[in-house]
Amino acid sequence: MSPASHAPLFVREMGLPVRFGLYVLACLFLLALDARYSALSGVRAGLNAALHPLQMGLAQPWIWLQQASGFFVTHGELTAENARLRRQQDLLRAEIQDRQALAAENDSLRTLLSLPPRPGVTPVVGEVMETMSDPFSRKVVINRGAAHGISAGWPVVDAVGLVGQVTRVFPWTAEVTLLTDRDQGAPVQNLRNGLRIIVSGQGSDALLEVRFLDMHADLKPGDLLHTSGIDGIYPAGIPVAQVVQTEPPRHTPFARALCRPLGGVGQYRHMAVLKPDPVPAPAAAKPPATLPAKAPVPARMPPAPRHAPR
Amino acid sequence: MLPQGAELAAPARRPRVYASLALALAATLLPWADQIQWLVPDFTLMVLLYWNVRAPRLAGLGVAFSLGLITDVARGVLMGLNALAYCAATFVVLLVQRRLEGFDAPRQAFQLGPILLGKEVLVLTLGLVMGLGEADWRWLAAGLAAALLWLPLAWLMDRISGHSVAGAPKGPGIRGRA
Repeated sequence: MSPASHAPLFVREMGLPVRFGLYVLACLFLLALDARYSALSGVRAGLNAALHPLQMGLAQPWIWLQQASGFFVTHGELTAENARLRRQQDLLRAEIQDRQALAAENDSLRTLLSLPPRPGVTPVVGEVMETMSDPFSRKVVINRGAAHGISAGWPVVDAVGLVGQVTRVFPWTAEVTLLTDRDQGAPVQNLRNGLRIIVSGQGSDALLEVRFLDMHADLKPGDLLHTSGIDGIYPAGIPVAQVVQTEPPRHTPFARALCRPLGGVGQYRHMAVLKPDPVPAPAAAKPPATLPAKAPVPARMPPAPRHAPR
Repeated sequence: MLPQGAELAAPARRPRVYASLALALAATLLPWADQIQWLVPDFTLMVLLYWNVRAPRLAGLGVAFSLGLITDVARGVLMGLNALAYCAATFVVLLVQRRLEGFDAPRQAFQLGPILLGKEVLVLTLGLVMGLGEADWRWLAAGLAAALLWLPLAWLMDRISGHSVAGAPKGPGIRGRA
């Protein structure tokens, strides 16, 4: 039995309220440090690396259980799923061919307009390990981290659309802030008329909002919003949301619109981090150098507006 | 001449205290399903409060602070959020520790219920104050669940720690005297 389990004969320590006050001060100091200056990221990464094996170990029995239950599926289910996947694959193949043709056409058009080529992306597929059990955060942890070449700021998509953004990177894991988080926003473009707006989360799981919408902006329920790509973070053309409802301005000079996210935000187990391919350095200088060698097409073309409505 | 109340209790052993706290932390960090996360009680806090009552010299404010920081990192929230809540709960329990010690589990549940609920309120309020977003008040259910689960937890912890229940002593010492 340790001596410390008894009360000491002579009290030589601070009173309880004083100690409590000191701890409260320490907590408030840490809170301010973390919230305002994010000065604790190193400490957090270290502690997280220590906790990671523990959390993996805790999750392992559940994964085994899931695998065991997945083993007992019937033959009929498998056949039906196989047929469905085959159909889907045919459909996707057709779409890919269409996409390749479009990409080729886009490349040639960009060359004609003497714009630099758009940087490509490489998807890194990760699996959601856990969701943060906190009432305020819409964040998930995926099993890809600095060791797999992930870095903070990269967009995360699923098979359908944009899901979120990598916000913190740990050695073997990364934290993805979902699109529905209150602090998360994405610059988008209305597919119908090219209107550029910003969609942000509002802390609810099902809806996104456009906060400061121009009163006369042409946005209707049913419009599809894709990333515009002008922020340099999200590549252009990723489906983000569909407008559900627009609200006229009431107390503010701005209208507001509610949208439904297209990607399965918080629904899927797998998601892909889009790793930007390094842009070739002389990309900006190349088109003018090569253009004179080609046919002098741009000279004859009328000056095309860069952001022409589609 | 009959021994009464806390005198009967076997002194808590340091390894058992820390092992049970680690187990409770692991239970809190289990990958609970998304749909019921707001209902899962904070096992770490419950076991911490149990030891606050049973062995305040082994599990006090320092232990509460460290456990809170670990929880903060594991949950990915601001450092110090849960630490502050745990410290506050421990402080209140230590203030009334002498009274809680003599109570049986159901009465303890009544006294600790407001503290367990208050911790959830404190976390939600702190989140609101720090501007983390809208509070999901469903999480208050976790505090109620913790108060309900206090009975089985206290029973289990009494068995683990070899604590004979006050008022119903069954030790060999009594039998020997009779």
